[in-house]
Amino acid sequence: MPRFFSNKRLIILLVGVIVLVALIAFSLRDRNHANVPEQAVKDVVGFGQSLVTKPAHFVTGLIENIDTMLNTYEENKRLKKRLETYAAMQAELVDVKANNVKLRGIIDKQEDLRAFEPIQATVISRNPDQWEEKIIIDKGTTAGVDVNMAVMTAQGLIGKVILSTPFTSTVELISTENSDFRVAAMVVGEEEMFGLIEGYDRTSRQLIMKRLDSSFNVKKGMQVISSGLGGIFPKGILIGEVTEVSTDDYGLTKLAYIKPAATFSKLDHVMIAKRSMTVVDGTDGGNSATTKGDDES
Amino acid sequence: MIRFIIPLIAILLFFLEPIFSLFSPIEINGNLYVTVPRFLIVYLIFIATYYTSKRAIIYGFVLGLLYDMYHIDIIGLYTFMYPLICYVAALVIRQIERHTVTVMVLSVVMIVLLELLSYFFASVIALTSIDFGEFFTSRLVPTMIANSLFIVMFGYMFKQITEKRFFQKQAGF
Repeated sequence: MPRFFSNKRLIILLVGVIVLVALIAFSLRDRNHANVPEQAVKDVVGFGQSLVTKPAHFVTGLIENIDTMLNTYEENKRLKKRLETYAAMQAELVDVKANNVKLRGIIDKQEDLRAFEPIQATVISRNPDQWEEKIIIDKGTTAGVDVNMAVMTAQGLIGKVILSTPFTSTVELISTENSDFRVAAMVVGEEEMFGLIEGYDRTSRQLIMKRLDSSFNVKKGMQVISSGLGGIFPKGILIGEVTEVSTDDYGLTKLAYIKPAATFSKLDHVMIAKRSMTVVDGTDGGNSATTKGDDES
Repeated sequence: MIRFIIPLIAILLFFLEPIFSLFSPIEINGNLYVTVPRFLIVYLIFIATYYTSKRAIIYGFVLGLLYDMYHIDIIGLYTFMYPLICYVAALVIRQIERHTVTVMVLSVVMIVLLELLSYFFASVIALTSIDFGEFFTSRLVPTMIANSLFIVMFGYMFKQITEKRFFQKQAGF
């Protein structure tokens, strides 16, 4: 049996462990800001990554196309049934929109919490050791992406930007265990019922919406959207649907379980919502980022 | 030519891992199974076995550092774990026969070790709150199965490439 560790190796190992602990402590301190070397590494690796990922997305896209073509007939039948109601709804929507513009004109209010400028981005990678729900997208500060902006797919909200470098951004998905991840949301019903999305129940795979006033009449099946009152997200991004309502631990406020509208696996194209109104640091930002002043566009 | 192929494959695997993790978690019968792609470490173990362990440790260190900076934002986890796994693999392989199958089995064992280490660190710095039982069923076992498939598919190719480079180096290139 050879000696397991020679003296020299033992010293290298010990020094290694010390350096490791020091580095972990150093980088844990401030994970939401990347310093210049980190930014450079992220941008360079991100560029290489997108060279590999984009062809992969193309291939998976092809396979999915073939897959959808196989059940086109069934789908077509189903969609035709829905199309009839759709036309009526479309007409109503156009009417309501026109009415909205007119009324806004009367009260002389131009700004809208709902207005946002979408930035299209491609998902280039997902954190391979999936302890944290993080994805990396190929747009960064040069494209206008900033920390704490809402990220969504066509189906609904999926997360928010937690770190951005000039050419990449890291997005934390809403299905995270991180308890600091809050979204100011509201349940759409007869009235607007405000609350906060706080936390994710891993076993049932549902979001938990807390701090709903107990006078609110929240029912199963109601839609939940972002309220825009958190300061950074625009209003009206679909989050999900209420599946269960109960009271919180102290019985003072209501608590609702929400089934997310978006799916979090096989993400490829996402949209970042850059809201047009003034951005302030509220619940959406976890009161962490610096307030952006009056930089409205 | 083959001189550049060894690091090129390592870089390619480094870029392939996050693409495969986009398909995870997999849902079977309403349960979610997380499969973590560990392609790079398998390749590094083959390098450590058939080429030189020193080279494997250097690649492990550099790519581990990139992994930490790009994906995890905590520097020091994979920078430490990749070289450590390569070192342990090199120590073990010295004691046993270098048959392709034994190296494949060793790779699976090392992936388990890496997963355990990664679970340990994630619990210590509070990235996760799952208990060991759940970690074992929903993460460790699916990861082992998925990576075993990868090893069976590509293990022999890795052996051919690394061994070829080793003989080339012995011949004095």
